[in-house]
Amino acid sequence: MTAAVTKAPAGATAAAITAIPPRPSRAFRDAVAVALIAGGGLAAYWIFPEDLGLLTRILATCLYVLSLDLVLGFCGIATLGQAALFGTGAYAAGIAAVHLVADPILLLVVGGVAGGLMALATGALVLRAHGLTLLMLTIAVTQLLQELANKLRWLTGGSDGLSGVEPDPVLGLFRFDMYGRTSYLFALAVLVVGVVVAQRIVRSPFGLACRGVKEDPLRVAALGGSPRGHLVGMYTVSGVFAGVAGALTAVTSGIVGLDSLSFTWSAEALVMLVLGGAGHLYGAVVGTVAFMGVHHVLASTNPFHWMLFIGLFLMAIVLFAPGGITGGVARIAGLVRRRAP
Amino acid sequence: MQTVYGIVIDGIAYGMILFIISVGLSVTLGLMRVVNLAHGAFAMVAGYLASYAVQAMGVPYLVALLAVVALTVALALPLERLLYRRIYGSANELAQVLLTIGLTFVVVASVNYIFGPTLKRIPLPEFLTGTVDLGPKEIPAHRAFVIVVGVAALLGLWGLLERTDFGIRLRAAVENPEMAAALGIRTERLYAITFGLGVGLAALGGVLGAELLPLEPYYALRYIVLFLAVVAVGGAGSIFGSAAAALSLGIIDTAGKYLYPSFGEFFFYAAIMIILFRWPHGFFQGKSA
Amino acid sequence: MTAALLQVERLSKNFGGLQVSADIDMELHPGDRCALIGPNGAGKTTFVNLVTGVLSPTAGTVRLEGRDITGLSAQARVRLGLVRSFQVARLFRSMTVREHLELAILQRERRTWALFASVGRTRGLAGEVAGLLATMGLGAVADTAVGQLAYGQQRLLEIALALALKPKVLILDEPAAGVPHSESQRILDALDRLPPDLAVLMIEHDMDLVFRFARRIIVLAQGRLLCSGSAADIAADERVREVYLGSRGHAAHRA
Repeated sequence: MTAAVTKAPAGATAAAITAIPPRPSRAFRDAVAVALIAGGGLAAYWIFPEDLGLLTRILATCLYVLSLDLVLGFCGIATLGQAALFGTGAYAAGIAAVHLVADPILLLVVGGVAGGLMALATGALVLRAHGLTLLMLTIAVTQLLQELANKLRWLTGGSDGLSGVEPDPVLGLFRFDMYGRTSYLFALAVLVVGVVVAQRIVRSPFGLACRGVKEDPLRVAALGGSPRGHLVGMYTVSGVFAGVAGALTAVTSGIVGLDSLSFTWSAEALVMLVLGGAGHLYGAVVGTVAFMGVHHVLASTNPFHWMLFIGLFLMAIVLFAPGGITGGVARIAGLVRRRAP
Repeated sequence: MQTVYGIVIDGIAYGMILFIISVGLSVTLGLMRVVNLAHGAFAMVAGYLASYAVQAMGVPYLVALLAVVALTVALALPLERLLYRRIYGSANELAQVLLTIGLTFVVVASVNYIFGPTLKRIPLPEFLTGTVDLGPKEIPAHRAFVIVVGVAALLGLWGLLERTDFGIRLRAAVENPEMAAALGIRTERLYAITFGLGVGLAALGGVLGAELLPLEPYYALRYIVLFLAVVAVGGAGSIFGSAAAALSLGIIDTAGKYLYPSFGEFFFYAAIMIILFRWPHGFFQGKSA
Repeated sequence: MTAALLQVERLSKNFGGLQVSADIDMELHPGDRCALIGPNGAGKTTFVNLVTGVLSPTAGTVRLEGRDITGLSAQARVRLGLVRSFQVARLFRSMTVREHLELAILQRERRTWALFASVGRTRGLAGEVAGLLATMGLGAVADTAVGQLAYGQQRLLEIALALALKPKVLILDEPAAGVPHSESQRILDALDRLPPDLAVLMIEHDMDLVFRFARRIIVLAQGRLLCSGSAADIAADERVREVYLGSRGHAAHRA
């Protein structure tokens, strides 16, 4: 009996090889990813109780890089100005915390609204351009805001940074403790919610239209759509995410610095996203964790070792693995799937 | 009045440095369609090499200048062959940005490893430390030298592109690469030569401009934004556009820093935004070489 | 006689001193199956661009259901029901056939601003997509990325996309261009299943296709309307032979 099976006709084997097992549905994969992020986050909480400060920063940065993925991965907008949106959210939440409100969730809302409005205002202007001009305009917006934040010392603290952000307990129940436990779990919850909302948006009719715009804006116009409207729309959504990420950083770290509005911070977001793989949300999380984790290990000895490492890594990705880490994993998974009978 | 004079002289000299470095970037962007964020890294390498040659080896300034430019080009050409050639063309924008940021990181790390993470100086020779009498006014000799070299670079490039066989081929290749290739122009060699030219200009500007753009550990990252700004405002591939953009941005930035120092680079970036809104392809796009 | 859906009156276009379209008049009625033919350089493409709003005319008007749309953008015309397909398939290479149709339908329904809705759960969408897939014979490749489709299938999808917009007037710009002759039958079959009340204007070089599809033919030559009439009239018209059919006159006889 077994012999008969192994000696199956050649045609049947060929068919078995070409028939790829059905891929799990998108909804299922999305749910698994969310579970992995939440589970991994909780595991890290138990494994590294001493490093919660760093881990909290990583989570907030994941949300920031996710916001870049929304515009770069789903709309194809190459921008070096994401820090403008992040920093706007961070400063708005920081200033609100010092002068107006102390509820952490309300502060996130303030940051998100500020980031969204900044994205809407600047996006409507800069998204007419393409290529180098667009890159340059997004850089210029960021630099202008940074100079402005530096200049408005009385409001922002200038180069000393804005300190004195002391939020109330989350939901009135969980006090921000000195070990950073509340901060970490709060950040994890915000990130998980952010990922779920982002998944929802990219699978929505709006997300579908944005993918169309990314591939061929003129064709979308020929279907009666407005490509620029969708670009500005997604840029605004991305601004809300970046603003919430900035506010989250301000709330959990208690301080907002000028570097949150820097060109370097924009460039780092791009590097982290591409490291992880753009265009499917999870790459943002994977890339951020990898980048900041290795940064923590290498930069503590010598910042230039870190630069050498990340520089070589970036070049290798462009030359050998254009999909980033997640793309590489998917490719290997694809090979394995095809080999399996 | 003295302030205005100071602003004009310093602004022009600063603009000339921006021009010398940025025009190299503009030509490679115009021809190979490559957004080369590592352009500043070549200027940085040249500056550090020159600093070492003059300070540690006692090489005369002008000799060091020429030798370092040649050496930097020699170091960069293999990179063109191994890295850049894979990412030419406008379809690869993101890959270009990432590859060249990566290269910049590697260069910054290596330069700091070799020469140490401190601010470097290139001591000026005696004939550049004094002033030059210009009738009623005096100009610092170094500024005068920079301006003269800048004008020479502008005229030299113009002559090269407008008056030589090389220039004709280059412009043909910029206009239509496929057609140029079909006409038997060896675009690969043309690209390599142009890339070398761009790197040479970056190196020249890096050494000459060490007084105005100080040689610090993060030089390549800090100043690339300035060079990109000049190219975006001037229009990729345009020599006169780069010169006009570099000079006006140089003067605006210098004036802003003289008159309102607390605003930092606010005026520089405000000017860029206004210009790019009005002329998204740069002022001189399509008007001249 | 029903009221005209699309009315083109004295439409003209000059590029500098060169007149590429001159005083063209044309009407399309519901259910029309009309073909626009003419030798290379007759101004067919310019005419399509003028009617669809890609170019603006030097003089003349374009009306859709009696409304003057001459000043409207191409997008606005699409939204009013004047839709074209492209000569070279312009599709979103990484998206599947199904996603293309979903996008077109959602666009038509002005639902592409729904940020938090789910495409999969949009009411009526799946059914309409299935209907279009069946009409065009694309059911088997519904979940294939367009980049992997055969060229003929891409052409069918191009037509399906236009249909998904529920047009009143459909302009097909060389629907069989680049499709091997053996496969053009599939395109023709698909065209036979177009909604009966739709007005169709087809620009085509393949005379077989033109004579089998069109009930009325319009001939352009040197930017002017030369003549129009039934297939038999056109085949018999001496002027048409002269400017266009010439050596290919046998094709007309065969039809």
